[in-house]
Amino acid sequence: MKFVCMKCETFMLFQKVEKPGEESLGVMFECPQCGSRFSMVTNPGETALVSALGVKIGGRTTAPEPFELTRGTLKETAMEPSTQTADSTSTSGGGSCPFSSVLSSMQSGAGIKVKWSEEALERMERIPDFVRPMVKGGIEAYAAKKGYQVITPAVVEESKAMMGGDTGELPWTPAAQQRLENIPAFIRPLARQEIERIARERGLASITDAVMDEMKDKFGQFMSGQYMGF
Amino acid sequence: MERDLKSILTKLEFSDDAKVIQQITEQTRQVRSRMGLIRRKLVVLSGKGGVGKSMVTVNLALAFARQGLRVGILDVDLNGPCVPKMLGMKGQRFEFTTEGALPPIGPLGIRVASMEFFLKPDSPVRWKGPMDLSPVWLGMMELSVIREFLADIVWGELDLLLADLPPGAAADKPPAIVGFLPELDGAVVVTTPSEVCTDVVKKSIVYARDMGIHVVGLIENMSGFLCPECKAESDLFEGDQNVQQLCKELDIPLLGRIPLDRRISQACDRGIPLSEAMESTPRRFEEIAKNIGQQVRMK
Repeated sequence: MKFVCMKCETFMLFQKVEKPGEESLGVMFECPQCGSRFSMVTNPGETALVSALGVKIGGRTTAPEPFELTRGTLKETAMEPSTQTADSTSTSGGGSCPFSSVLSSMQSGAGIKVKWSEEALERMERIPDFVRPMVKGGIEAYAAKKGYQVITPAVVEESKAMMGGDTGELPWTPAAQQRLENIPAFIRPLARQEIERIARERGLASITDAVMDEMKDKFGQFMSGQYMGF
Repeated sequence: MERDLKSILTKLEFSDDAKVIQQITEQTRQVRSRMGLIRRKLVVLSGKGGVGKSMVTVNLALAFARQGLRVGILDVDLNGPCVPKMLGMKGQRFEFTTEGALPPIGPLGIRVASMEFFLKPDSPVRWKGPMDLSPVWLGMMELSVIREFLADIVWGELDLLLADLPPGAAADKPPAIVGFLPELDGAVVVTTPSEVCTDVVKKSIVYARDMGIHVVGLIENMSGFLCPECKAESDLFEGDQNVQQLCKELDIPLLGRIPLDRRISQACDRGIPLSEAMESTPRRFEEIAKNIGQQVRMK
């Protein structure tokens, strides 16, 4: 679909896509000559039609995951929560949350009680307050899944490695590394871990500027722009 | 004064600045790349529902696999998937890797892809999205899901992929499949002897040919009833010449006849394929597989 600026007799150029409301997309265009802008706003049926194409308007920064559309659009699947994909157009399931793997782990362990050793709890105290419940939930879910009754420092280490997909550090380009440094120190390790996890899931060989652009969007949505330092 | 749109458009060059065409091109390239590893690709179709397409697909796959071929089944019936049950594979799931989705492997090494592998037991396919507006988007969604089945599954190298299509004489699925698979080797059409059925199946053959699909031949299912006691075969429908006449009229080979055999339906219900050495109906599928193999130069 193209739009023509009748005044300048030229195609308008795509600028960006926004989500102005539930089940609606706002696709912004601009005339390259006179600078006139307008937005095409879709109704719910049109929004679903655009989603059904399986494309991201404006292009992708990373390759699509297998069955991204199918898994992201089925209301319910028999897949394990940890295998669900993030879907940026989805309105449910926390798909746009950068910490989706942690949250999924928390959900999968919901209702399962495990005990904490004193030493493990002490270690939790070192984590900033605002992320502690999320990290604890993730570790509890991991422990429950593995059948551990008590969470010890060893279990914490094990779950940390598992959640981070600890298969060796991915190389970061200097530009990406610089952008990582702009993230506040107290959340930087968690951000690094999550960025590397997503990159590994997608089979990327390194963390580049393009990956950071995408992560910025994800983190920005999750944190309402509070800590968008990169 | 503003010029008319037609004259403006003649001087403009299209640019894919929203990168939609680029992504659709990439999707197509991904399908071609996966399908390029598969030697022969056939669809099993019928204009009519309930004629036994899935049963035929499964048993043909088994017959080809018994010949030592590497076979895959794509269950394109998104809303009524039944191939996994017939092969005893209910409850199995895809394994997701960075390379794509690994399909579960069934009897005789047959690789199977089905919507069933995404669904909870007894759950229908339910999509997110405004169902009251489903006529606007659901068709596109299903086509994109089929595209993902073709593009995202790590089929690996196969000798034959059989796609079990949903019923429909002139629906959107066959043209979409052809669009995704221009190198499709052909269609195997399933019918029953009843005139009601052959009338509709005839339309689907004409439609398939309109789209450039080579019709490999016709399989007559429920050609008669096979008595489990005395093994005698008796007619189920009036007009036992209907299918032969249809084949003659459309110049299509009759690939074979399959009787209504209680043991084969039990085998499908239980998900345990019958042994071809012990039973007559599997032997008929062996014959049909040989006929198809000759038509599409399988060996």
